[in-house]
Amino acid sequence: MKLFLRDQWPFAAFFLVQLILLIMIFAMDGYWNESLMIYVMFLSVFFAGAFLAIRYLSHRAIYQRLSKPVESLEELTQTYGNSPLCRAMDDISQEQYRLYKEQLHAYENKQRDHTTFIQQWVHQMKTPISVIHLLLQNEDDPTAESVREEVDRIKRGLETVLYIARLDRFEQDFLIEPVTLRSLVQNVLAENKRLFIRNQVYPEVKVDESWRVESDDKWLAFVLNQLLTNAVRYSAGKSNKVTIRAYERGAHAILEVQDYGIGIPSEDIRRVFKPYFTGENGRKYPESTGMGLYLVKEICGRLHHGVEMESEVGEGTTVRIVLSAVVPTLQESKIAES
Amino acid sequence: MSTIMIVEDDPKINQLLQEQLEKYGFQTVNVEHFDRVMEVFTQGRPDLVLLDVNLPKFDGFYWCRQMRQESNCPILFISARESKMDQVMALENGADDYITKPFDYDVVLAKIRSQLRRAYGQYAPQEGERTVEVAGLKLFLERMELSMYDTKIELSKKEALLLEALMNQHPRVVSRERLLEKLWDEQFVDENTLNVYITRVRGKLKDLGLEGAVETVRGSGYRLRATWEEGQ
Repeated sequence: MKLFLRDQWPFAAFFLVQLILLIMIFAMDGYWNESLMIYVMFLSVFFAGAFLAIRYLSHRAIYQRLSKPVESLEELTQTYGNSPLCRAMDDISQEQYRLYKEQLHAYENKQRDHTTFIQQWVHQMKTPISVIHLLLQNEDDPTAESVREEVDRIKRGLETVLYIARLDRFEQDFLIEPVTLRSLVQNVLAENKRLFIRNQVYPEVKVDESWRVESDDKWLAFVLNQLLTNAVRYSAGKSNKVTIRAYERGAHAILEVQDYGIGIPSEDIRRVFKPYFTGENGRKYPESTGMGLYLVKEICGRLHHGVEMESEVGEGTTVRIVLSAVVPTLQESKIAES
Repeated sequence: MSTIMIVEDDPKINQLLQEQLEKYGFQTVNVEHFDRVMEVFTQGRPDLVLLDVNLPKFDGFYWCRQMRQESNCPILFISARESKMDQVMALENGADDYITKPFDYDVVLAKIRSQLRRAYGQYAPQEGERTVEVAGLKLFLERMELSMYDTKIELSKKEALLLEALMNQHPRVVSRERLLEKLWDEQFVDENTLNVYITRVRGKLKDLGLEGAVETVRGSGYRLRATWEEGQ
């Protein structure tokens, strides 16, 4: 309504000026009949008012639309009415919507092709890595050891790429089921044993064998992998222990990775979960990509797990994953049965 | 002797797997033309199949279904794809297990053995038993026994693994890192535990009358020395 008034006031003003001008011309010419003048003014104003009212009613949709912010793309396709202006508005917004959609589709396709390409490429790279891996398995000299380390690094890098690419299609690629925490931890540790040994860091596992949580084991393993890689990397040379423990907090199960390494400066803590953020530690350790913790946060978010972090420079870092549901542990289910 | 069929389109992986399996006493059949997988399968009558997922023409899932129509033999998938969907697909198409690339020989061998045992009963010992020998000292890996001339001695699993590494590398040095890595299966092993195992292995060798056979090489690791030969 406001917009309508603001839009139409020049017209109203013009109309009034014209009316007064007409009456004044008649008056100066010597013709003056008061009641007729009032009647003419009344009629003119009445018809002008009626015109504006009809105008407003027929274009109300447009005015309302124009004075509200757009909330969804679909609003662009709604129809406004039957007047020529309304129909023109309809046509133009349909056309805009169509163009926009077309471009969006083009980008979506491009993005999908790109993701598919990356995934295929990573898989192609896995074949040569497998070959190198197999070739080295029966070798035991320092060169082979060193090549093995590099292969590990390539593998880790490729894995990160693959998981980032997959994140886009997360919805098609996860399956929530009971995951046994202990065996998950052990598998991830076994995968990283060379990393631990090379850095002379040893894991301490305090996870009850019967603990099970609702999660996707592949994604959770990836998350744990990232946390352990960080923990080992920032412990190296300072402490030789990384603790992985699980405990209960209310209805949640907490999986915690604690290291006693260099810690994270407090001004960096808030930002470590941002993509590409490497912070002070990243500058000390050239291998940081800044993606690890971002992925952890992102994946946990999609799995509906919480992430908490505590750290003190020189004391170490603790990262906790808050898992949403504890599946009744074996002891509990036994009690329930008896 | 069990026959293993390898369906893998990368020639190098194919060849490496083949060599490794033959080393452990398996017979291998491999596929060269990927439009004739079924012919090879029917003629070769393998006891177990290692099947890649990404293959030219048809994928592994297709071949797995085809094989299932003719036989119940164990089928193990070997693939670089590790998504949940692929694993589910593999199992639904009739596979028995799924190994992701890159893999360790140990894992493949262990899975092959366990599938064979499950499918054909306990005739696994008939497979060429894995043994390592250094100048008369013989290690039986499956039985975890160590023998010298006529004396036999039993070993724990970790001791056997340690000796395997040392004997395989003889007369070269095995780094501590490599040994730690070998011993680390389910439970991790730290430096102190490794020292304990080394002491135990030395003890066992002493029981066989071999003293000073495990030599410490400062700063790099351990080496097996056939001291008993040198003395003669």
